[in-house]
Amino acid sequence: MTNTIALEVKNLNAYFGDFRAVKDINLTYHKNTVNAIIGPSGCGKSTYIRCLNRIHEEVEDASVKGEVILGGKNIYAENADPVEVRKHIGMVFQKPNPFPSMSIFDNVTIGPKLWGEKDRTKLEEITENCLKKAALWDEVKDKLHQDGTSLSGGQQQRLCIARTLAIDPPIILMDEPTSALDPIATVKIEDLMNEIKKEYTVIVVTHNMQQARRIADYTSFFVLGDLIEHGLTSDIFTNPKEKKTEDYISGNFG
Amino acid sequence: MKISRKRALKNYFFYTCLILSSIVVIIPLFMVFFFLLQKGGSSLSLDFFFNNPKPVGEIGGGMKHAILGSFYMVGLGSLIAVPLGLVCGVYLSEFGKGKIASLLRFTIDLLTGVPSIVVGIFAYLIFVVSMKSFSAIAGAFALSIIILPIVTRTTEEILKLIPKHVKEAGLALGLPRWKVIVFIVVKGSRSSLMTGIILAISRAAGETAPLLFTAFGSMYLSYSPDEPMASLPVQIYNYAISPYDDWQKQAWAGAFTLIIIVLGLNLFARFYFVRKDIYRSIKKLFTRQTKD
Repeated sequence: MTNTIALEVKNLNAYFGDFRAVKDINLTYHKNTVNAIIGPSGCGKSTYIRCLNRIHEEVEDASVKGEVILGGKNIYAENADPVEVRKHIGMVFQKPNPFPSMSIFDNVTIGPKLWGEKDRTKLEEITENCLKKAALWDEVKDKLHQDGTSLSGGQQQRLCIARTLAIDPPIILMDEPTSALDPIATVKIEDLMNEIKKEYTVIVVTHNMQQARRIADYTSFFVLGDLIEHGLTSDIFTNPKEKKTEDYISGNFG
Repeated sequence: MKISRKRALKNYFFYTCLILSSIVVIIPLFMVFFFLLQKGGSSLSLDFFFNNPKPVGEIGGGMKHAILGSFYMVGLGSLIAVPLGLVCGVYLSEFGKGKIASLLRFTIDLLTGVPSIVVGIFAYLIFVVSMKSFSAIAGAFALSIIILPIVTRTTEEILKLIPKHVKEAGLALGLPRWKVIVFIVVKGSRSSLMTGIILAISRAAGETAPLLFTAFGSMYLSYSPDEPMASLPVQIYNYAISPYDDWQKQAWAGAFTLIIIVLGLNLFARFYFVRKDIYRSIKKLFTRQTKD
């Protein structure tokens, strides 16, 4: 059963200068699952997820200790190249961030294109496939050459998801992908997560507990950088083992 | 509720002040335009643009040599300063945190403040003294020092406008940092960068002082970088202080030409965005038609 493991996190700590924002996390993620991370604001959930594709270290003074094992290799090993790591672990951010002055087509294909894919028909194929997976194709197929920034917020976020799918990473991280969106756009993104988990492993940070309940197979609950509880979503919400989890999901604090 | 009479009056008063000051600001430009056209209009002709100066005493001739000289030296100066300024600007905005960067930023700021006549003397010392001759290359060098700090600082400011999360999104696609900077940050800002560059160039096109002791000016058309070369601002200056009525009229015409060139560059820079959109919609129209 070892080959069902997508990502393994061992003793992961994240720092901003001296401040320890994430403390000794040990977690295992399985392939083709949606994994939610919930917790009150400032609990380190965004920092944690940003460690999983080595984007955390892009912030000044930030550092990481511990291991994240992807396909048998530690992405924090000394000889590991963050650029290679990020090709395998994609990320969708909180705010929709299509690249400026770039058409929808270019936004989707920029990853493969800059990796060296020149074949135009192949790039067109990728665009159509990824936009279809991101449930955006029907809305934009007639205006692929318009700027990505001309779309609505929800569409922009789905464009960003398509852009991530275009590099075909087995693991996709999402950092509160719907927190800047309206309820209708949110539903579309949630459906989309459910759809893409057939091919990908999704790890998603959300501040919305109902969302975690709707979409996630597994849920982790963080407080102040500590992992309080991790388990099947149904267990976490109906039968939490920890008092803190129970308090949080029943609304007693947070 | 009724607005009190006093408040309505106050509002009226301040609103009038705003309108009046706006008009006062606009008037000088139109007056400059009006005077230049009035005084120089009679000398503006095809001859003026397509002829070089005639010998002293003969009526006629034009400023072809000075117009081309200006383009030559501004072009050469931009060729030196624009790439350098772009690279420095990228460095400052993307890696500008260390000591070298603060030193560079400080130097560039000082350079912006150096009076243009001093820039001219500096270029004179470096080129004219060592080459023992006034030269176009010395003029171009002086103009490049005018252009460099403007391009550097505008590039830095423009690139800083790209939000951090956009850069992170690029990195998250598994792209190396240099590709993110070149293909996402710089490419994404290309129209604003163009605007900054054109504004810097148009500023240099109007400079006289850096050219006085460097390119010096000339009455002949020349394309050699090691010889003195005429430029519009210097030619205008020389003609304007000359005793000949014909030359003075040509100075007015030259001034009008110069302001049209500078204004044209500025307007081009301003409407660059609009032009791009028009181009896009034309392209879209075209692809639609060919598909159907």
